[in-house]
Amino acid sequence: MSTTLLRTIQPNQFSLLATALFRRRTGNFSVRCCGSQTTTTHEAKQPSQSRVAPKNHRSNKLDEILKDYEAVIGIETHVQLSTLTKAFCSCPNNYGSYPNTSICPVCMGLPGALPVLNSKVVEFGVRLGLALNCDLSLKSKFDRKQYFYPDLPKGYQISQFDIPIASGGYVDLDIPLEFGGGHRRFGITRVHMEEDAGKLLHSDTGDYSQVDLNRAGVPLLEIVSEPDMRSGIEAAEYACEMQRIVRYLGVGNGNMQEGSLRCDVNISIRPIGQAEFGTKVEIKNLNAFSAISRAIDYEISRQALLYNQGQADQIVTETRLWEEGAQKSVTMRKKEGLADYRYFPEPDLPEVILTQEYVDGIRASLPELPEAKRRRYKAMGLGMQDVLFLANDVSVAEYFDAVIGKGAEVKSVANWIMSDIAAYLKNEKLSINDIKLTPQELAELIAAIKDGTISGKIGKEILFELLAKGGTVKGMIKAKDLVQITDPAEIEKMVIKVVSENPKQLEQYRSGKTKLQGYFAGQVMKMSKGKANPGLLNKILLEKLNA
Amino acid sequence: MASRALLAVISASPNRCFISSSWIKIQSSSSSSSLSLHLQRHSRKIQLIGRSYSSETKSSEFQPPDVSSLAETARISLTPAEVEECETKIRRVIDWFGQLQQVDVNSVEPSIRAEMEGGNLREDAPETFENSESIRASIPSFEEAYLKVPKILNKE
Repeated sequence: MSTTLLRTIQPNQFSLLATALFRRRTGNFSVRCCGSQTTTTHEAKQPSQSRVAPKNHRSNKLDEILKDYEAVIGIETHVQLSTLTKAFCSCPNNYGSYPNTSICPVCMGLPGALPVLNSKVVEFGVRLGLALNCDLSLKSKFDRKQYFYPDLPKGYQISQFDIPIASGGYVDLDIPLEFGGGHRRFGITRVHMEEDAGKLLHSDTGDYSQVDLNRAGVPLLEIVSEPDMRSGIEAAEYACEMQRIVRYLGVGNGNMQEGSLRCDVNISIRPIGQAEFGTKVEIKNLNAFSAISRAIDYEISRQALLYNQGQADQIVTETRLWEEGAQKSVTMRKKEGLADYRYFPEPDLPEVILTQEYVDGIRASLPELPEAKRRRYKAMGLGMQDVLFLANDVSVAEYFDAVIGKGAEVKSVANWIMSDIAAYLKNEKLSINDIKLTPQELAELIAAIKDGTISGKIGKEILFELLAKGGTVKGMIKAKDLVQITDPAEIEKMVIKVVSENPKQLEQYRSGKTKLQGYFAGQVMKMSKGKANPGLLNKILLEKLNA
Repeated sequence: MASRALLAVISASPNRCFISSSWIKIQSSSSSSSLSLHLQRHSRKIQLIGRSYSSETKSSEFQPPDVSSLAETARISLTPAEVEECETKIRRVIDWFGQLQQVDVNSVEPSIRAEMEGGNLREDAPETFENSESIRASIPSFEEAYLKVPKILNKE
């Protein structure tokens, strides 16, 4: 009787506690690459100390739990590939097409239809496998994974079971300073090719669901990590790195909101010191990096609470669904065992044979990957904050590389991109690919300021015009007559004029109100239309005022 | 319905295999000599696959079918009378596979599927299927551009 009572009460207690816990954290978390490219611009210019509060990002509650328990986290990432056609038929692979139009007998599983593998899927599988430092299977195969669900017209999913195209790799990443910093390596168990299922839309009202089968048969690469992550932050950063790699490689758009990048998290906790893993729970429906982090922290708390109450047996193998609105997870289904999928080799598809030559060709064509870029930027002397910002978005990194390729000084380029350009992109909701300022002209602009042709202030002014309208720095300086006045004689003339026109202020200055120097400097600057060299101006002004 | 249950039971058995293709092949073989050849090759395959796929015991004894749970996995409902009827039929098929298991195929190269040269890939060039309307028209419950199905989320 008493146990029953206890059990009925506890879930409520917990959900209250957890809600409070996670409310407090909401908004506190931001991962650099959430969402579209334009969001990458925030917090750009601030030096590290303003945001860095190492190890304070978690609530105390969670820290306390983690004194006694260790979380073990693995992630399955589904990457939708940006091929033109589906995996096994020529139906167009377009996100957002009118429902149930991109279908054919093959992806609908009609009798007699036979799948033929898209060569791009193999290519993308090899690219991603190599990028994740995996061993490739020169001979892999497809299998059928059986389950009956309305989003799966054939009654089975074509996937790879025991021989994936790539396995045994790893990924390196840097944890941002605000989350404690540090370099991490997480193992990659495998990467395999498979097809997506259709999309189920659940109506809130009514007792039916709707199915759109345009997505059925769209190619996916599933990346399975080793259970190497220990916190929500690490898991979110891992997912973030997957998105970066996918975008760098150009194998997918990595868009989480559209479901082009989906992460399912497996998590268990165990008392510190215990060797065997606890019971694993899977969490789905994580469509933002912040959701990954929060869902994991929630799950750690939920499981720890059950442990602490001697109810560890209530942690069962199950799939839970993250509810972003409520900031909690709920049971979706108790997990079916592996055997229930009844895998067997797909008899309709030949083995996937890769030649070493083919693999080597793709290896040679791989772009510089995020980790290599970060190490290179670090070696150039940039701080980690700058490095993470610049390498986060492949377009920003390419732009940065192009500007320094023109000989511009590394730190100045980083500053310009991370402050004024980033702010502009954010305000205008643009990506760096949309701006009219070419890398060549940014290099010119920086050079013009450095050699004193124009002042830094004027540089900033013309920057925005160049960003919006394009054109050349030299052309603009000429057309607007912006060349900095560095001739002392010319500046002296203006100083004399301003001083003589303001006898009252001069008198006040000479009687001790030296703050008025600023007033005189402003007047001279105004007269020069902002072009007077500030150093020279002040030097000459002081001489005249104190004469 | 019966074939779906059959597929389910076969792939559920400890030595999971790809019965459909070998089954058809064996059936369609006309001469007895080619039949025995197929038997050898395919049952060898079955063993190999069983080994690499199954975490269960390698026992060559097949378990009797649990038709009710199979029906659940296949998402079909059977009356008790149908369960009884299916059980006898499925057991006969399983026993037949038990015989296949006894064939010694240790010296035979495994082959998973029909003979196909590797490298049978397709260019990534889109082509819209002209007659998709007839596919949609054949869907029993289709409304406002979507297939309409019973709500199944959280129903388990």
